[in-house]
Amino acid sequence: MSDALWPYLIVILAGFLPNEAFRVAGALLGRRVNERSEFFTWIRIVAVALLAAVVSKLILAPPAILAAVPLWLRLASVGLGLGSAYVARRSLLVGILVGEAVLITGAWYYGP
Amino acid sequence: MNVITRRYALAGARSALVLPAWIIGFSFLGVGSLVRDVGHPIGAAMLSTLMIYAAPAQLILYTALANGGSVVAAAIAVAFSAIRLFPMTLSLMPYLRRPNQSTAELVLLAHPVAATIWIESMRRLPPMEQAGRVPYYAGFAITCTTICVTMTGIGYALVGALPVALAAGLVFIIPIYFTIAMAFGAMRLGDWLAIGLGMALLPVATWAVTSDYDILAGGLVAGTIAYGIDRFRRRRTERVPSGSSDV
Repeated sequence: MSDALWPYLIVILAGFLPNEAFRVAGALLGRRVNERSEFFTWIRIVAVALLAAVVSKLILAPPAILAAVPLWLRLASVGLGLGSAYVARRSLLVGILVGEAVLITGAWYYGP
Repeated sequence: MNVITRRYALAGARSALVLPAWIIGFSFLGVGSLVRDVGHPIGAAMLSTLMIYAAPAQLILYTALANGGSVVAAAIAVAFSAIRLFPMTLSLMPYLRRPNQSTAELVLLAHPVAATIWIESMRRLPPMEQAGRVPYYAGFAITCTTICVTMTGIGYALVGALPVALAAGLVFIIPIYFTIAMAFGAMRLGDWLAIGLGMALLPVATWAVTSDYDILAGGLVAGTIAYGIDRFRRRRTERVPSGSSDV
């Protein structure tokens, strides 16, 4: 096999398959689930908690490019973004712009 | 395509273009630059977004490869991060299933399930008439995916042209966006508890079960506690005769 195909194989074997397996499993089981059942309520709340855990991980243990930005600044960026989104009458755009402004300023200040 | 289908598909595409597709699209600029760092071709970068369509999984995969990790270890880490897609897809299905639906259609509809589409769909689909849900969802999802694949390619081409601070900002769009969208999508006490506990318990989980399993363990425990408290509260309010029931 040629090395040129390796990156594409990685996408399929280490990326697509592990992700798609859980989506397909959810779709097949979800075909019969009753949305008023306690099981469904539990699954839905667990999905929210798992997503919150992913977000927490991205803030606490970010990719290398963000490592120069101190933790308190990463937390401030998310906190101020969330706060301003509510202040601006539930505007997602305002929240993201404020959070990004805080983070990019900090990354520029602490950066190499 | 009948009139209702077309109308809802266009409405879905339009609401994606208003904002969500761009937010998530911009975060994929960062994914593109990450793939380039690893030395893989632009085609692989764009294919990864089309086929994986989960930015955290892509960040995990390519960060691991960039650090010289093995493909098998990376695939296992990706699989753990993907477990959350199971409850997400499952909880979306009641709004996407329809009579005489083929398994192929269900599997296809499940493909774009990831944080953005899940959060936005859980907010928008329930109040919608049933005939409109699948076309709206498809219009929304296809638009988001198209923009994300394109942005991955642009991010790949741009790398090096971007100042480090800006590139860092692009990567950080994801946690900011998800936090706000989760808060906007929270409908009941259990959701709020799940957000708070899910975030707060993660460092505890990292300490307890190492960073390989922390998201899964922390999320499962936090979600189950949140569900338990939510249920306890519902039981108590149900005893009050005038109690307005939760949605």
